[in-house]
Formats: sequence, structure tokens, C-alpha cells
Amino acid sequence: MKTLKKPYPPGDFGIWIIIYIELVTFGAFFLGYAYSRRLDVVLFNESQLLLDQRAGFINTLLLITSSWLVVRAVQTIKRMKEKEAIKEASFYLLGAMSLGSVFLVIKMVEFSGKYAQGLNLSTNTFFMFYFVLTIFHFLHVLLGVIILYNLYEKTKQGGYTQQEHTGLESGASYWHMVDLLWIVLFVLIYIIR
Amino acid sequence: MRTITSIWMVLVLLSMFAFLVGWFKITSSFFIALLLLTTFIKGQLVIDYFMDLREVSLKYRLIPTLWLMIVLSLIGVAYYFPLHP
Repeated sequence: MKTLKKPYPPGDFGIWIIIYIELVTFGAFFLGYAYSRRLDVVLFNESQLLLDQRAGFINTLLLITSSWLVVRAVQTIKRMKEKEAIKEASFYLLGAMSLGSVFLVIKMVEFSGKYAQGLNLSTNTFFMFYFVLTIFHFLHVLLGVIILYNLYEKTKQGGYTQQEHTGLESGASYWHMVDLLWIVLFVLIYIIR
Repeated sequence: MRTITSIWMVLVLLSMFAFLVGWFKITSSFFIALLLLTTFIKGQLVIDYFMDLREVSLKYRLIPTLWLMIVLSLIGVAYYFPLHP
């Protein structure tokens, strides 16, 4: 049986406008990086060796898992009876927020390590892109963690129900966008050479 | 919930593959193509199952899908045709 498609994406439509704009903005940065690399492949490959791939990989796992927990929170609110749902969804959101926070801590350790090595925005073109892209993404994760905290608080207070959970879906969509951007960023900056 | 957990596991496995390619510093054209393909798959899974766009009107799903396809294809072009190798 063919299922009927929903007319609009989950959450508030405004958040999707923001998501589409963010994707285009990051896309331009990604292509800027890839096409600048064409001009000096050796410099980019040598500079890339100074990055900590393990930290990038752990951060990938953290964001993927955090996104998964957020999906579980939304599904729980949509499917379960209120009292059980509040407890379970809050737990998932707290987990997602904690993993997002660990991502931020790992990134800060990485940034401070780079500065200690004397690497910064003006070191070369690779590091200019590395710092601009990862700091820009870091700020999005920071905002995402703040959003998750608010979702957690409202869920705990019973603010979302099976019938009304638009705010939860909006915040979740934003968080998944942060995850999607990191999936491309990780491969582009840390891995591909 | 089982589907979402399976998707999460696929994402973890594909990320491990990407990490191992980077860790062993594999630079062949084949692996670049494979990395870009697996990144597309990961992104599409996030779009379809995490963002939950698979059950939404096609135009809203196509925007991030096309974005992902175009960005990764152009990255591929930049990596396959360097100006100064």
C-alpha cells in the first residue's frame, strides 16, 4: 500500500529555511577548501598530517550517536503515553546533550593543541580553512547543545505531547543538520587526501 | 526504533571505514571515490531517517539530497583534477 507523503518537513517550517541556508553556506566553504587544495596539493596533504584523526573520528561517533538519541526522544514522545514518554525522552535528550558537550570539549582540546604548536589562521591556506570551518561548525554545535538543553527542560516539564511536539522536532532537525555537516567535514578535512 | 538503531550502526561502520582509510593514508583514486560514495550514503541516511524526510513531499527531501550530491561531486572533481599535483 502506498503511504501518503506529508506536505511539510517535521518541525517549524522556519527552521528548514535556516537549515537550507546553512547547508548552502557550508557547501560554499567545503568547495572553497577543495578548490584551494587544487592549487597546492602538497601543502594541504602535509598540513593534514598534523591533524588528530582519532579526535575527528571520536567526534564523528559522538555526533552520530547523539543524533540517534535525539531521534529516539522524538519517537518516544510521538508513540508512548505521556508519563512514560516524559521520563524516557528526557533521558535520551540528556544523553544527546552530554555527547554534544563532550564533542565541544574534545574540539577545544584540539584547538588549544594546535595553538600550542604555533598553528593558527595565518599559518597557511589549509589551516585557514581548517580553523574557519571547524570553529564555524563548533559554534553550531554549541548552539545545538543549548537548544538540546532547552528541549530537555521542556520535555521534563511535560511540554511536549503525542499531539503537539513541533518545537522538539524543530530542535531535532537543527541537531541532525549539525551532524550532517560534520559527516562531510570530517571526511573532507581529516581523511581524504 | 529498530530501524533507527540499524541506521546508526551503518553510520558507525561507514565512519570506521573512513577513519581506517585516513589512518593508513590510502590515497588511491578508487578509495577517494569510495570515500565520497560512503559519505553520500551516510548523509542520505541522516536526511532520510534522522531528519525524517523520507516520508515528506519530494521537494523538501530533494534540497538536502541535491546539496549533498552536488557538493560531493564537485569535491570529487577537485580531487581528481588537481592544477598542481
